[in-house]
Amino acid sequence: MTRKNEADAYWSIFGYLASGLLFWGGVGYFASRFFDKPYLTLIGLLLGVTGAIYLIWLRFGRQ
Amino acid sequence: MINLHFSGEGFVPPSTNDFNLPPIFENIPWLTKPVLLVFLSVIVVSVFFVLSARKAAVVPSKLQFAGEGIYAFVRNDLARDVIGHDFMRFVPYLFTLFTFVLTNNLFGIVPFLQFPAMSHVGFPYVLALFSFFIFHYVGIRKQGLGKYLKDIAFMPGVPKAVYILLTPIEVATFFLVRPLTLSLRLFANMFAGHLLLLVFIMGGDYMVHDSHMIMKIFAPFSFTFGIVLTFFEFMVQCLQAYIFTLLTALYIAGALADEH
Amino acid sequence: MTGTLNLVGFGLSAIGPAIATGMIFAAYINGVARQPEARSVLQPIAFLGFALAEALALFGLVLAFVL
Repeated sequence: MTRKNEADAYWSIFGYLASGLLFWGGVGYFASRFFDKPYLTLIGLLLGVTGAIYLIWLRFGRQ
Repeated sequence: MINLHFSGEGFVPPSTNDFNLPPIFENIPWLTKPVLLVFLSVIVVSVFFVLSARKAAVVPSKLQFAGEGIYAFVRNDLARDVIGHDFMRFVPYLFTLFTFVLTNNLFGIVPFLQFPAMSHVGFPYVLALFSFFIFHYVGIRKQGLGKYLKDIAFMPGVPKAVYILLTPIEVATFFLVRPLTLSLRLFANMFAGHLLLLVFIMGGDYMVHDSHMIMKIFAPFSFTFGIVLTFFEFMVQCLQAYIFTLLTALYIAGALADEH
Repeated sequence: MTGTLNLVGFGLSAIGPAIATGMIFAAYINGVARQPEARSVLQPIAFLGFALAEALALFGLVLAFVL
């Protein structure tokens, strides 16, 4: 892995985390509005972070 | 949300309103300073490279040396090192992108122009949209639509049930977050940089003219810091043009690769 | 001047991940500089540490807008 791919990796990590939080956080947010249970937003955000970190581990963490 | 209210008087800090410049002519609403600067940048880039390439000689003149240096930088350091095999197809686009963004950014610190057009978010959006279509088109042409989308959406080596969690994240990354971060990074850097310069120059100006005797002593510090930050801005502007082009090249390389 | 306190809170909460990211990459650069062949071992660890620290910063950003 060269230096330039490393720069790509940082932005990929950021992108995965952002889209994980946005998508599953958004799903959780609308679910919480729909069912009137505010904790669903938090569950959605945690789910998004978990998925994003799992993806990052799959792509960059494995040898 | 908890709102804070301060009733300040005196110095009015620069705000986003300072970026909404009025039209130059009353009856043409779209012709504002940023639009004019974008046109000017196209002329500047064209004239510079036509002049530098017109009388090409074995022993290069200073102008030819500068033009060839920039071209060689984009071709060798960005296109060849990142995309590798079959990179010449993308050099014209990458070169245009780099010089256009760089010129527009540098307008932010050129005296009398002093406005980076990229601090209006519409321009980076369009540039990112071009890059977005190009790298997806290249990937689809190379691998076929089905295989390309499958490579994006399904990370290999994962149990089936987990795809429900992961596929939306990957699709959102490739189709939403990538173009958005590409454009917003450029926009935010130019916007914040211009605002920073405005704060120090306008603050120094206010201190000289309207403040009490003691505050006038600090005005030179404000101006000095403004000048230091101008050099810092020069660095940031070059770096952002480089990063925009580098990431476009990396996305093209990723779309061309068999697996990501 | 108007604004929201949430953003002040986000600014404060971003200090932690910022320092964490700095320390992670300081250690990574140190390790690679001393022993360049250890790069392939250290890189995944550095990336994962970066991801975890960055996740906290983005969490703060999202919560600053949601709450």
